[in-house]
Amino acid sequence: MKIKKLFQKTRFGIFALFGMISLSTSALCIYTVDTHLSEEYENNSKNIAKTIADSSVDILLNRDLAALQSLIDQFVEIQSIKYIYITDESGEFLAHTFVPGIPEVIRTDDPFKTEAIERNLPGMGDFVEVGSPILAGIAGTVHVGMDTGLIALKIQRAIGRQVYLICIILVVGFFAAIWLVNLAANPLGDLLAYAVGRARGEDGASDDKLLSRDDEVGHLANLFFYVSEGKKSEQSDT
Amino acid sequence: MTLTSSGVTDTEIILGVSAAFSGPSRGLGIELYRGASAYFTHINQQGGISGRKVVLKTYDDGYQPDPSVKNTLKLMLEDEVFLLFGYVGTPTVTRVLPMLKKFQDRNIFLFFPFTGAQPQREPPYGDFAFNLRASYRQETAGLVDNFVRINRKRIAVFYQADAYGRSGWAGVRSALKQHGEQIAGEATYRRGEKFTGSMRKQVEILKASDPEAVICIGAYAACAAFARDAVDLGLRVPIANLSFVGSENLLKLLTEGQDNSESYTQLLVNSQVVPSYEETSTPAVKEYREMMQQYAPQPPEELVKEDYTPFAQSFVSLEGFLNAKLMVEILRRLDDDPQRSQLEDAVFSIRDFDLGIGEQVSFGPDRRQGLQRVYYTVVENGRFVTLDNWEDRFGKK
Repeated sequence: MKIKKLFQKTRFGIFALFGMISLSTSALCIYTVDTHLSEEYENNSKNIAKTIADSSVDILLNRDLAALQSLIDQFVEIQSIKYIYITDESGEFLAHTFVPGIPEVIRTDDPFKTEAIERNLPGMGDFVEVGSPILAGIAGTVHVGMDTGLIALKIQRAIGRQVYLICIILVVGFFAAIWLVNLAANPLGDLLAYAVGRARGEDGASDDKLLSRDDEVGHLANLFFYVSEGKKSEQSDT
Repeated sequence: MTLTSSGVTDTEIILGVSAAFSGPSRGLGIELYRGASAYFTHINQQGGISGRKVVLKTYDDGYQPDPSVKNTLKLMLEDEVFLLFGYVGTPTVTRVLPMLKKFQDRNIFLFFPFTGAQPQREPPYGDFAFNLRASYRQETAGLVDNFVRINRKRIAVFYQADAYGRSGWAGVRSALKQHGEQIAGEATYRRGEKFTGSMRKQVEILKASDPEAVICIGAYAACAAFARDAVDLGLRVPIANLSFVGSENLLKLLTEGQDNSESYTQLLVNSQVVPSYEETSTPAVKEYREMMQQYAPQPPEELVKEDYTPFAQSFVSLEGFLNAKLMVEILRRLDDDPQRSQLEDAVFSIRDFDLGIGEQVSFGPDRRQGLQRVYYTVVENGRFVTLDNWEDRFGKK
């Protein structure tokens, strides 16, 4: 039947539309979550580095390095912060959290760098490192390393949850749309069958049901009824 | 039992202890407790202090900062002990010190922690603690001075990655600076490392720096593992340990069931902050040995969950014994109604006090550490003995 084909096309159209919406929403969501969370982690690290830098001033100037080590040990317990090291104004390492030792790539790098840099430390993984100067750099620099693998995992989990939600909405939306289309398609199918029957001069069992509907289908059925009845009386008159 | 003052009843003076009774460093907490317990038991059997027995309210922190903080809160706020006594470790004590400042209106002091770190010896927390033992700075400076004197100037450091390790590392760095030298190489390990763990990576790192001596700032299990792996990998240089290591526990690990025990211990040199417990001519050592034998003190049964065989004598239990002896002297100097607020004056009244080890003990507002001397010991015939001659033992041939 033609109506069936029409609604098949509609269903396909709905599926394609929902699919497109889901894909584009997912892509946007992935981009947004990835960008925002990456920025957030980087900002957190910068804030931690700055907090340590601010707290270190008094310790560096007045107290023992054990107090400084105790301070950074507390921060490295925060998830995704994998290492912290503090260098003095000459670049010497004053405190760090590396085991079994300071990686060569860090030992030989510029100790005054404060911008975010990506590092691969052999045997440890991939990191984003941010720095913060202590007392405008004249007392040293704090460096905080974040595990990018762990951050990526967290971002993937966040994205996964969002995409999962979108997929559920897609499936529910698709079936809801099908149901709604069917809600319109079934009476129209009945109407078509009724119209064809009337044209052939047949009286259907479901005529009353269709004619009693108070919607567009009912109105059309009534229209067909009057037209066919009119034709019948014209034919009997002639 | 009537509570006359916080931590003091008609019959008891309650001291609060948080130390390692579990984990790889439990030997330190247990031995320190046993030594102190021997002397307190003796005093209690003699009738106590003005009729009051000294009681230790003890908790296990496993040498971990967070449990130590929780235990201290409990001791101060719930148990309301008279004072804190015999804590073990730098990472634990450094976290506890700010709490003492926070509750400074309660006049709770920390007495004789088993750590030579600086935070409880300096502002802003130095006013809340009293130390008996020499500091890590003094221990590391002594080791560095002696190594440099025998022309072993390339000194590397193997240390625990925490406040304790950093404290010792800073001591070595500072002492080397005095000689115009710097640390030749460094390697770290995580707190809680066991003897069964491998220290090969650390040995390789230090070997690459071609050291002439290594100073270890760690606990016995990790330091023993390092000494074993160093010998196995051909790093044949003197390996020094600080007093905190727990010499007998270290020696036990390196000798029991080891085929190569002599080579593992041959190049060890351990600094100590108390005299050797083998020196029976020293009055306090004689007293200590007698009481350890007489009372055979045991650690609190409810806290010791893992196997541990106590030592008849050890440097750590001797330190605990001396801590208790001085603590009793301070408590005796309080009046019949002991108050926390009197404690500081009682401590400051200790001037040239003879503890029985040949070194006078004095305290004052600017002197919150009783002893200054550092001793050096090496392994001979399966035990630690006093090192007489550095050149003969460790001089370059």
